[in-house]
Amino acid sequence: MNAASIKRFSSQNAIYIVLILLVVAIAVYDPTFIAITTLRDILVQSSTRAIIALGMAFILITGGTDLSAGRIVGITAVISASMLQMETYANRFFPDMGQINMIIPILLAIIVGLLIGLLNGFIVAKLNVPPFIATLGTMVAVYGLNSMYFDIDPNNSQPIGGLRSDFTNLGTGYIGSDGTYSIPYIVIIAIVVAAIVWVIFNKTQLGKNMYAIGGNIQAANVSGIRVSRNIMYIYMIAGALYGLAGVLEAARTGGATNNYGNMYELDAIAACVVGGVSTAGGIGTVPGVMAGVVIFSVINYGLTYVGIDPYWQLIVKGVIIVAAVAFDIRKYVAKK
Amino acid sequence: MKKTKMTAVLAASALIVGALAGCGSNNNEGNNTGAANNGGGGDLPKVGVAIYKFDDTFMSGVRAAITDAANGVAEVDVVDSQNSQPTQNDKVDLFLNKKYDALAINTVDRTAAGVLIDKAKAKDVPIVFLNREPMADDMNKWDKVYYVGAKAEESGTISGQLIVDYWKANPTADKNGDGKLQYVMLKGEPGHQDAELRTKFSVKAVEDAGIPVEKLEEDTAMWDRVKGQEKMAAFLAAHGDKIEAVFANNDDMALGAVEALKAAGYFTGDKYVPVVGVDATAPALQALQDGTLLGTVLNDAKNQGKATVTLAAVLGKGETPSKENTGYDITDGKYVWIPYKKITKDNIADAQ
Repeated sequence: MNAASIKRFSSQNAIYIVLILLVVAIAVYDPTFIAITTLRDILVQSSTRAIIALGMAFILITGGTDLSAGRIVGITAVISASMLQMETYANRFFPDMGQINMIIPILLAIIVGLLIGLLNGFIVAKLNVPPFIATLGTMVAVYGLNSMYFDIDPNNSQPIGGLRSDFTNLGTGYIGSDGTYSIPYIVIIAIVVAAIVWVIFNKTQLGKNMYAIGGNIQAANVSGIRVSRNIMYIYMIAGALYGLAGVLEAARTGGATNNYGNMYELDAIAACVVGGVSTAGGIGTVPGVMAGVVIFSVINYGLTYVGIDPYWQLIVKGVIIVAAVAFDIRKYVAKK
Repeated sequence: MKKTKMTAVLAASALIVGALAGCGSNNNEGNNTGAANNGGGGDLPKVGVAIYKFDDTFMSGVRAAITDAANGVAEVDVVDSQNSQPTQNDKVDLFLNKKYDALAINTVDRTAAGVLIDKAKAKDVPIVFLNREPMADDMNKWDKVYYVGAKAEESGTISGQLIVDYWKANPTADKNGDGKLQYVMLKGEPGHQDAELRTKFSVKAVEDAGIPVEKLEEDTAMWDRVKGQEKMAAFLAAHGDKIEAVFANNDDMALGAVEALKAAGYFTGDKYVPVVGVDATAPALQALQDGTLLGTVLNDAKNQGKATVTLAAVLGKGETPSKENTGYDITDGKYVWIPYKKITKDNIADAQ
């Protein structure tokens, strides 16, 4: 291996090198960080974030953005939780609702996410509103809608709790005999979602169109791609993924309020960008996004683990986001 | 070009590692937030503390009290849940992974306590909830679950007692001499638990002291100072000097009422009506000093923090908390109730 190939290797795999450096730095500071339980916690904490970030990646790659992601997570968390409370629980959202099949509220929540995504896509593709503004509007409106639903009598804006154990098991359960050497369901779900998204990105016409639109929208148009229809599909898929993430957040915490998901879109954008997705569109991979998500989980978890002041953690996160974009831009400029 | 990329990677990595190292050293010389990791504390039990959010005024007071009281009692690791229950669950997973001896949790969403108790129980780590009381069903899930907090109704009872004390000490308090207390009530947000309980129990305390009451007006001012002033002005227009006491569910509304009363010529000469609030905010303490506010009620952050740490430390050592080893009364085997404090001009220092 000569010097040139080392350079090429490190510039192509910068994100993974940063991840490893980060883990090494934390481990040097506190060696007990290296443990199976740590890995497991980080994967669990990355799961819903990964699903949201993958949805965001679709949109960023087309050259768009989506500020409504967090609020979609919020509304779908509330919808699924509201229909999945134990029958014995005192403050039920729907006091007379029976023990319905868990799949129904979950699907309903995902469909709500999908429809809001479709609305985003329609505003962007058909009304030609810039994505930043379109999704800023839906972000605000979806929160209003969610708060309205959350305030329905008899719930009156009280946190929704007492969720059924079969539902919370989805977020906290695992395959295996004990809490250490086992695979949590939520991690499996995230991996399956990532695999499906990878197939869409790399093996389908929609994926090719997505990169083409993000790379050069005029060229995509000229080459016969039905741009607005593809953009609507993309926002719809992203909305459905946020919906799934909302369901899992409710299952994982055993409750939901209208404040769930607040600002998650910024975490997702940050993870995508750090994972090499270009905000200018046309560039981004599934493994990159996953690495971006894991980097933030490692920062969140690792810096708390070694006992770094919470205010400093925020500063470190900010520095990493800016450093990553500076790097990303450099790559972009270099290409020209 | 590759060189530029390489430089960028190195620069980014250096930044990250540098930032890490920087904060690390800052932490070592600084406060004991991360003390649990430093390993120098000997045999003190390690307690993971998760606060619902760091920028809440009252909880910041409790947080400071926790850090103070932990000195020599426990190694505490205090983290911010950023007003997000999922974030708090992540922090609890981390505490359990680090094999802390006990947890102290101020939940973001009280209904989420059930899942947290399940997590803690699976690892046999005792858990003390503070300030936001979990549901009784959740509290009964396990015998190593405790709660430290205040009873909201007590803040009402104490504001009632402030008026009772004034009534008994001042024969002229009964302005029309009918032996009954004519009062007006400024309520917080309707349906809010604190608003309902404070309203109910402040009046009840007066009645329990054997003083008959007559409600002239009761209306909501939404915890707000400006609305408190407007409502009070309307009450004065309707009843004038017939009002013998003003209750407000919080200090902001009480101070609004004081402004309206001042505008009507009160607090000059011997024109006076007692006004009571709740919270002991800094402007309220100033009003106590000025003599415009009769009294307020303090939610005792210092003792909530101290009781939490003491309880968690005892549990972390594997002992069962009792009056002897914690210094606090334990009700029903799992609740520590921290009383509210009556604050008047005479003991302003207690609230500062």
